Amino acid sequence: MPENEVTLRMRRRAKELLAGGEVQQVIGWEKGTFWYQSPPVFIRQPEEADRLVWDDFCLANPAIYLLDDRYGQERVGLFVKGCDARAVVRLIQDRQLVRERVYLLGIPCPGLKDPEAARTTGRESAQLPPARRCQHCLYPNPVLYDELLAQTVAPRPPLAPRAAVKALEAKGVEERFRYWREHFRRCLRCFACRNVCPACNCTACLFDLARPTWLAKEVDPANNWFYGLVRALHVAGRCIECGECERVCPVGLPLMALNEKLAKDLEELFGFKGAGLDLEGLPPLSFWQPDDPDHFA
Amino acid sequence: MSNPYVPVIARIERIIEETPDVKTFHLVTAAGKPFAPRPGQLAMLSLLPVGEGMFSVSGQGEAHLEFAIKKVGQLTTALHEAEVGQAVGIRGPYGNGFPVEELQGKDLVFIGGGIGLAPLRSLINYCLAHRPDYGELLIIYGARTPADLVFKEELFRHWPQAPGTAVHVTVDAGDAGWQGPVGLVPALLEQLNPRPQGKVAITCGPPVMIKFVLQALERMGYRDDQVITTLERRMKCGLGKCGRCNLGSKYVCLDGPVFTLGQLKALPAEY
Amino acid sequence: MPWLKDEAMPAFLAALQSQGRLWVPVEEEWGSCLAVWEEKSLRLTPGPTLLAAKGLFLPQTEKLFHYRVEAEGAVISESEPPAAAARQIVFGLRPCDVAAVAVMDKVFLDGGYVDCAYRARREASALVALACREAAPTCFCRAFGLDPLAAPGADVLLLPLEGGYLVRAQTAKGEELLAQAQGVLAQEPALDWPAPPAFLLEVTAAGVPAKLAAMFDHPLWDNLYQKCLGCGICTYLCPTCYCFDVQSADRGTEGYRYRCWDSCMFPEYTLMAGGHNPRPTKKERVRNRFLHKLCYLPERFGVFGCVGCGRCLLKCPVNLDIAAVLKKVQEVGTHV
Repeated sequence: MPENEVTLRMRRRAKELLAGGEVQQVIGWEKGTFWYQSPPVFIRQPEEADRLVWDDFCLANPAIYLLDDRYGQERVGLFVKGCDARAVVRLIQDRQLVRERVYLLGIPCPGLKDPEAARTTGRESAQLPPARRCQHCLYPNPVLYDELLAQTVAPRPPLAPRAAVKALEAKGVEERFRYWREHFRRCLRCFACRNVCPACNCTACLFDLARPTWLAKEVDPANNWFYGLVRALHVAGRCIECGECERVCPVGLPLMALNEKLAKDLEELFGFKGAGLDLEGLPPLSFWQPDDPDHFA
Repeated sequence: MSNPYVPVIARIERIIEETPDVKTFHLVTAAGKPFAPRPGQLAMLSLLPVGEGMFSVSGQGEAHLEFAIKKVGQLTTALHEAEVGQAVGIRGPYGNGFPVEELQGKDLVFIGGGIGLAPLRSLINYCLAHRPDYGELLIIYGARTPADLVFKEELFRHWPQAPGTAVHVTVDAGDAGWQGPVGLVPALLEQLNPRPQGKVAITCGPPVMIKFVLQALERMGYRDDQVITTLERRMKCGLGKCGRCNLGSKYVCLDGPVFTLGQLKALPAEY
Repeated sequence: MPWLKDEAMPAFLAALQSQGRLWVPVEEEWGSCLAVWEEKSLRLTPGPTLLAAKGLFLPQTEKLFHYRVEAEGAVISESEPPAAAARQIVFGLRPCDVAAVAVMDKVFLDGGYVDCAYRARREASALVALACREAAPTCFCRAFGLDPLAAPGADVLLLPLEGGYLVRAQTAKGEELLAQAQGVLAQEPALDWPAPPAFLLEVTAAGVPAKLAAMFDHPLWDNLYQKCLGCGICTYLCPTCYCFDVQSADRGTEGYRYRCWDSCMFPEYTLMAGGHNPRPTKKERVRNRFLHKLCYLPERFGVFGCVGCGRCLLKCPVNLDIAAVLKKVQEVGTHV
């Protein structure tokens, strides 16, 4: 699989862009310790470009690393799937990045595989279920790019769209309360969900502030829950539904159910189709219009 | 067994306004002096609920400890708002302190900047209290302006009058009343040029001052074991457990804060 | 040697439970952890549980003392934790996790000061280890010289064999535990000592501490950190990561101080009042974490801060795990 056409094109283009000085660095994926791991890789030398791969496990979003050097001058070549490109759009809209600093090599994404299933079942790629987030992806083709490394793909009809949200909405308030309490009880507060999130691009985060203590460092159900819910509300309308928060959570919190619920509400209230689909469409909670529905009145 | 994280409650007995942003607090407990630290040792002071932080003990009397504290963050701001009589938690002493035995018989050159004179002061006064054990004392100190000089009483009265003690004070920028030298501490040090033979230099101050002081001392011929400095790091326990104050395999709270330049050069430069 | 038949396991666990709170490995939908037996049922899989046992000795959040704010400032109203912790038995710890407890012991019981809360919990705990006949794909305890069939720090060792377990008391505490379980133990049948399990990962830490001691300024660190998310997964899952923060919980005129796990991966960890940070970027933080485990702890306490449990291999979202780092350290030249 790593020797596929896209991989070969990635390597060739990375070499050309680096050798020609068009970019100083490219960010893509390489193979990890296990066959079902394709972690991010940072390449500066053309001769290192052969480490790059494109396969079923390139789940990591390379765009978030742009935040580590958000005020820098370097031009970065970024390999982007559909969801990654939406992250780039969001970073540009949030003024964390100027478009000229990235050269986007788009990869129309056929949908990736679930690495957890690979690990636990040992089945080969073709037999694995799709990664959870890919099951209802509507935008597999990069929405912003400088070049495409493959033919665009037709979006598959989403499997059971918003199934998790609908199932939760069907429960009563008490049951939903118990459901979230039980989940957040085990949150370790490692902040992986926040750190991996392209919507969480603030230079300073309220959850890190010692005083005033918005979020106590005590790890208990109340503080954990507060963290999870406030974060979900903060990224409402800016979440690109890439599912990275849920993938990285070490204790398997169903975080996307929260994000999808908010996305669903935003769609119903504002007709919002999703964050980061184009450079013009701002998140509905980022601006105000006289004819906004006003449920606070 | 006692819980090492529980402070003893002390009270502020006296507050001295050293500069616009430095105050010295005298702390006493019901039993008198909270403990008897060696010069250069540390103590955890807490003002609850605001927080707890590690401070150098800048002096002690028969029945009290002294802390010269600069207002830089939330805890120190709260301390600066405290009044005489207020309760302050204290636990310690922590750290190694200055090697007072090894320094016996040596001439000592103290080079301080700003609030960095606080730990040096504890050693200077210790040497003066044990005068026969130590050689000549040369004190070189500077601050940004005359108003920023700490321990003025000692700098201009007590120390210059003490036997075998010379004091040189400089400021980065003078004012109308300032008669003394104007300039940076490293420049004054080079001008005074104390010969390294039989001497140990002890320096504490802002990182940029330390950097140039160390360069000057090296040029003057001081060996790495003739130079001593003290470090500051964020600390939570003071007991070598919470993890954050390590420099390589050493902990500033246990193995420091006092290090020779030779020891520091063998450690990662994470300070 | 005493022999525990597979079918006698529930009776054995009941005998343990009669002597204190019994923690056993259980499998949840999201991963495995230790839970109180009978609330959840025992489930053994190769390798250690996803969540380590360290929280039983160093809880993620723990009160230190209570205070009351009076007119002239705070006074201590009550000191926690109680001197005597409740008796607990931790069953099913793998040899790596038993070794990890020994690392924590070094830090909290050695090295100058004794941490009373940790000591109380450790003294009230008995460790019943379970030797590994099978390694998980992420296991690499051998890299640190551990024997998957032994757990020298445990009070009791269970060695799984065909049809049951060989049971060995290794300490006085262990003998006491087993004394209550005599009724469910049989005598050892004639069985061959098993071969150690096969490992998938080829990793070794041989020579690494000395090599790393000269690598603080090595260019390796310039790239290694880049993919790090700066999250706390590795530190919170690691069975030997012990760093903590101390904070106040303020409830008007009263409150308490507590400590809670902290992570050296977080910028605030070393951030000083006034804004200076001696480890300002991910590079310094990542470097410190691996040097701490593979160089500083060996220097200070003579033990590695890694036991090869594989949790970071399992859960680091970007594969910046310690096995990968060990491999890189072994590969590079020491020249700078």
